[in-house]
Amino acid sequence: MSDSYDEFDDTTLRERIEANPRPALLWALGVLVLLALEIGRVAAGIIRVGESARFALGGIMSIPATIEESVAGTLGAGAGTIAFLLMALVLLVIAAIVVKWLFVPVSLVKRLDIDRGVGTNDVLERALITAVLGVFALLIVATPLGSAVEALIDGVTRGLEAVNSIQPITSRETIPNEGYRTGDGGWEGTFLGLSPAWAWALRVAVVYTYAIVWLVWLWKGYEIFREHYREADWTPRDDSINRLRNHYWGLFGFVVVFLFIVMALWAQPLSPVTAEANLYSPYEHEFQYYDDGSLETITHGTANVQTRSQGGDSNVGLMSYDQYDRFAPFGTNQDGKDMFTFLAYGARVSLVVGVLATGLMAGIATALALMTAYYKGLLDLVTVVVSDSVISMPRFLIVLLLSVLFMQANHPIAAIYDGGILLALIFAGTGWPGLWRAVRGPSLQVAEQEWVDAARSYGQTPAATMRKHMSPYIAGYMLVYASLTLGGVIIGVAALSFLGFGINPPTPEWGRAVDEGRPYVSTASWHIATLPGILVVLVVTGFNALGDGIRDAIDPESETSEGDAGAAATGGGG
Amino acid sequence: MSQESTRSEPAVSNDVDVDANATKDEDEDVMVQVRDLRTYYEGGGLFGGTPVKAVDGVSFDIKRGETLGLVGESGCGKTTLGRTLVQLESATGGEILFDGADATELSGAELEEWRRNAQIVFQDPDSSLNDRMTVGEIVREPLDVHDWKTPRERRQRVRELLDTVGLQREHYYRYPHQFSGGQRQRIGIARTLTLEPEFIVLDEPVSALDVSVQAEVINLLEDLQDEFGLTYLFIAHDLSVVRHICDRVAVMYLGHIMELGPTEELFTDPANPYTHSLLSAIPEPDPTVEKERITLHGTPPNPRHPPDGCPFSTRCPARIRPDQYEHLDNELWTRINTLREVLRERERADRTVTDRIREMLGKDPRFGTVGEIFDELFGDQQVPEDVETVLDQVADHVRKNDEATALEILFEAFGSVCESEPPAYYTVSDSGRQSFCHRHDEGYRAPDRVLDERHRQQ
Repeated sequence: MSDSYDEFDDTTLRERIEANPRPALLWALGVLVLLALEIGRVAAGIIRVGESARFALGGIMSIPATIEESVAGTLGAGAGTIAFLLMALVLLVIAAIVVKWLFVPVSLVKRLDIDRGVGTNDVLERALITAVLGVFALLIVATPLGSAVEALIDGVTRGLEAVNSIQPITSRETIPNEGYRTGDGGWEGTFLGLSPAWAWALRVAVVYTYAIVWLVWLWKGYEIFREHYREADWTPRDDSINRLRNHYWGLFGFVVVFLFIVMALWAQPLSPVTAEANLYSPYEHEFQYYDDGSLETITHGTANVQTRSQGGDSNVGLMSYDQYDRFAPFGTNQDGKDMFTFLAYGARVSLVVGVLATGLMAGIATALALMTAYYKGLLDLVTVVVSDSVISMPRFLIVLLLSVLFMQANHPIAAIYDGGILLALIFAGTGWPGLWRAVRGPSLQVAEQEWVDAARSYGQTPAATMRKHMSPYIAGYMLVYASLTLGGVIIGVAALSFLGFGINPPTPEWGRAVDEGRPYVSTASWHIATLPGILVVLVVTGFNALGDGIRDAIDPESETSEGDAGAAATGGGG
Repeated sequence: MSQESTRSEPAVSNDVDVDANATKDEDEDVMVQVRDLRTYYEGGGLFGGTPVKAVDGVSFDIKRGETLGLVGESGCGKTTLGRTLVQLESATGGEILFDGADATELSGAELEEWRRNAQIVFQDPDSSLNDRMTVGEIVREPLDVHDWKTPRERRQRVRELLDTVGLQREHYYRYPHQFSGGQRQRIGIARTLTLEPEFIVLDEPVSALDVSVQAEVINLLEDLQDEFGLTYLFIAHDLSVVRHICDRVAVMYLGHIMELGPTEELFTDPANPYTHSLLSAIPEPDPTVEKERITLHGTPPNPRHPPDGCPFSTRCPARIRPDQYEHLDNELWTRINTLREVLRERERADRTVTDRIREMLGKDPRFGTVGEIFDELFGDQQVPEDVETVLDQVADHVRKNDEATALEILFEAFGSVCESEPPAYYTVSDSGRQSFCHRHDEGYRAPDRVLDERHRQQ
């Protein structure tokens, strides 16, 4: 108990970095350089996130007014005002609970010394925060402070927009690949006068290099943290990571998934032409080409009609130029549109739908698994009955039925992302029982552990017990099953689109490409259906392989066992 | 050694500090009062069913600063009792008074606050620590829950505690499975100490450890008790450990406390027949010592259907017998007891439709025929005339599937107060030792004399 221990005793991460700033600074510098290379894209991303946050906030803030309107319509203006105030208060209280949970780690009640006994303290605490938030909201609404905040946000936005215009290294403007061949055989308008094929290949190389450098740098950051700043010289995660590093099937999955995600994120610079010009509104975008000694201008739409791949003589195959000197690495589809552009943007759709559906599913399943394992009893029974009911219905039929129903009814949800969000919701709604079943065993098991009892014995709350003492043990399983499910969802969406019900045109979707290319499989235009088909297989296999790898990494006992092969099989069920 | 010091301590402080309640001299140093505590586990099915009576009407006091041992065989309810005391199980009835306040009535925030004062050390150090958290996080968590001071002070305190329980401060950032069983148990002990509880339930804290490590942990617990003035309820089935560490001992059987008194007295001069048989099971290190073991027959009854009278009556070696049969052979008595148990079991079991059909067809029913049972039990015994008559009567009724009447006849002939009424607690020594046995009543001979006569004279 002497003070000699204190020097190493008690340092926060910040203090440890301050004591030895060099590695951290070096790493941060690298991050800054990487960010600076893509500053325009980063700014665009921030602006987009900000806009959606603003949109969501606006929606929430309009709730009291909407309620006031509807109540005033039936019960009179006075009741309307009361309803408005009540609703505003409810929103404030909810906000206060969230704020307390996220941002206020210390007890205000104890700091202010107004302890009123254990029962009322929690209420008092939230009331205090609600009051502060209320005052803040009033200030913004009723005083010039509001416009000041508004001006600040405007300024930031404008700054970001200015930054936005800076060209990122991976942008198509930095390495343009669209141009025309002049009479003497040279290229005009492309990067350094390279041919469009080489310019495009260079851009693809730059994009993937950039992404790989990021990956390496993040790994480096982890190593720096581990070496210089982490206080524990060993954690169980180190072993997991080491096991994953030697798991070649898992690494294969990781590589495939990485390539796929980069393709989805950088779809715009990866495509030879932009989706806007080639897929969505081809008749509003023009390009130039050199024809018999004169420079002609033509819209993408008109050109596409001439470059259809429909078998026989009418075909633009792999790695070829069409008659307008546009380079099509994967050829064109039956409408003359660029296949690679179609596939790159399609990857984005698949990823968004897959990640959203799987995320929702995993969230619902985890929450239910924790609560049913902790509380058991009636809640467990009800969940079992509900999930068994859902499982007992033929899933693909239900998905089909619901998607047709919503699409035909023109429900507003079906309009978002051309039905992508709707599909994600449907897949999540029908898929959670499977995931819940998969982690039910492990969660029941961990709920019986004595450390859960121990947590109860010193008064830990049920929510915190589930989060700290139970969820880490099922998170591994969840990660595995979720990555398997993700492949299933991608296949499911592709299958739906193949049948003509999934994502509506013109939004690109792999399954629809397979469907549309089907008549030409035996012709020269075989690539239309085959390439997306191969990609679907590859990506789903990749996700399954990654899932296998993660499972073996987190659970040393399953390293050699083949007993869980069934889990991999369920992933493709869709 | 600790027995002397810890017991005298509260007495001294009483004289100095507490003089307001001078009239209630005896109750002053009582910390926990358990009164008629019952913990039943419900049947589990949707329709209730008969509950398992894990703890069935237990009353005792725990004095401040003492170590009360709780011993008994597996399944007797001692762990449930410990868990109920710290409110990990909710009591079905009765009260647990901590300094006068009933803990069973608490809920919500009050319960959370109360939990600071009563902690538990678990039996299995492998299962009681969350392997995904560092030792520091594990020990600190109770402080986080109760929002104790600042995070920096919490970390400081955790390091001091690690020091206190004999670990090193640097172990803060290690993970539990880098430690041995004994060290893990030390971590568990450090965690219970964080909130500075006054009362700790030790649920077989050393039974999962190696013998050499056991001693270290026991010594640590004794040191901590001296240092922090802790009160222990020490649950164990290792009697030698109990004898070493406890000031008083409660012996438990089938949800009841059979005997409760100062350790040395109870070990050297047990009063209750169950204590006698329990102590006679301790192996004697000296092979030359002649020692008569009292062997208990059968297994403890199902706690879902405990016997009507004394819980120990089905196996008791000193059971009160009707005068006329007092001198029947011990072996014959054992057989008669077994018969009674078989009949009780048969009475409870439902006969299925298949059994009834087999019976009507004249085939062997599931249980085996009455003839077989009687053959097996009494075939090799010299059964006196009068006993034979009763047994024949019983057999008749059993053949008619009327076990209730059969049991009644059996009770008329061989039963006594032991099977019909639960005993009371009798004070059996000057120190206030209590025993739960009819034999302490006037009019019956004391248990040890009966045991001497029946089991130790050969």
